[in-house]
Amino acid sequence: MTNEQAVADIINLSEGDSSLANEIRELGGEELLECIQCAKCAAACPLALAGFSFFNKRVIQAVLMGLRDALLDDSSIWACQSCNRCTEICPREVNPFEIIQAMRRVAIREFALPTLSIEGLKSLYDTGHAVYLAGAGNTRNKVGLPEKPPSTVANPEALKELQAILRKTALAELGIIPMEEPGV
Amino acid sequence: MKVGFFVGCNTAFNRPDLEQAVRYAFPALGIELDNLEGQSCCPSWGTMPSVDVVGWCVVGARNHTIAEEKGLDIVTVCGSCYGSLAESKYKMDTHPEIKEQVNNILKDFGREYKGTSNVRLTFYYLYHELGPDKIKEAIKYKLDGLKVALQPGCHTLWPSKVYYDKEEDPFHPRVLKEMCEALGATVGHYTRLIDCCGMGAMRSTDMEKSLKLVERKLLSMKSEVNPDLIVTGCSSCLIQFDTAQELLRNSKKINFEIPVLHYMQVLALCLGADPEKVTGLAKTNVKPIIERIVG
Repeated sequence: MTNEQAVADIINLSEGDSSLANEIRELGGEELLECIQCAKCAAACPLALAGFSFFNKRVIQAVLMGLRDALLDDSSIWACQSCNRCTEICPREVNPFEIIQAMRRVAIREFALPTLSIEGLKSLYDTGHAVYLAGAGNTRNKVGLPEKPPSTVANPEALKELQAILRKTALAELGIIPMEEPGV
Repeated sequence: MKVGFFVGCNTAFNRPDLEQAVRYAFPALGIELDNLEGQSCCPSWGTMPSVDVVGWCVVGARNHTIAEEKGLDIVTVCGSCYGSLAESKYKMDTHPEIKEQVNNILKDFGREYKGTSNVRLTFYYLYHELGPDKIKEAIKYKLDGLKVALQPGCHTLWPSKVYYDKEEDPFHPRVLKEMCEALGATVGHYTRLIDCCGMGAMRSTDMEKSLKLVERKLLSMKSEVNPDLIVTGCSSCLIQFDTAQELLRNSKKINFEIPVLHYMQVLALCLGADPEKVTGLAKTNVKPIIERIVG
């Protein structure tokens, strides 16, 4: 690394965004300020083990420092396995997992979400399943099951109900996926 | 005994042989399955839980109410469904303001979340409702002599506060081990037993890092247990261990193959299920193992 690069990588604290912590607390990360950065969560985190830049402890640290862009420009929060080792182990009941989820909620409100998440949400709205494989009917038949599972994919009325429920959630206000009422 | 079967996405569309294993094993043990007609996605972590707390809980609650109206608990074979449903229930049960907002949406659809159905994972349900001894009595075939390495799965263990069925110590899980021993398996311990397999959001975000985690687990299993079979407690772990080994062999990271099955598949085989129906979609070669079990 050259000296210029090293200098450019230094975090400029005066550019921190102090509103980020409040946003996180409003979007499900209520216990954010209880964190004492003891790093017990980091010791248990698969993201840390796999070498991602931001794992539970560092996400919390970055949020407290207001480093909004650093978090939004990095894919780490979207790789969180939701495994909740951190929730289990945290001595301050911070629920670090919820803070990562809250950071995802911040990112979504700035349209900074991965394509796969958009596809998952669209699939959830269109079929009732985040993961849906159109060709799965054959595989299901092969093992002796009906083409469709007894879910929204086999029950059009249930799918309509789920879609109407989703239209009453924050997802509809965000405009990430098309959610027109059928026939309108 | 009757229970609602929450089938989820990956099991229904990627590994319906696992769905078939559950549909065989529960009735064979005298437990009727209800289809929970009209169920949807749990919802999975990258969707509504990443958008909004109430939006997450309301999709979960719609699923909970389908079981509540029938007076049934929910069983699932997928760790993510188990975690998401148990967490949405915990949130609504411990935060009246979340439950109220959810029920405000649901009332227009003639539904109300009450919190009366528990969320259970298949093998924990069988452990607590029947117990290993009854399972030992019910099986036709035994795993005698088969050496097994376990993959319990993250969502089967943490966060323990949201789960109805608990381990004494979730960092030293025992239930899956006892359930495998009931089938006659010898279960070996390895250092990375409770590590994450790397499936899920990590695999979608960074395949290389995800494979690194499963590689570490496989090498630990191989050198410390040298198992005949890997048994998972979660459908996502099943997919990761079953599909990652070929990729790791192609990149020369490992030079072996260990067959992989979910616990419910092994149980269904021991109860006399048609192997093609309950394991027919495995990518690892499970045929020699099946021959050893059913003879």
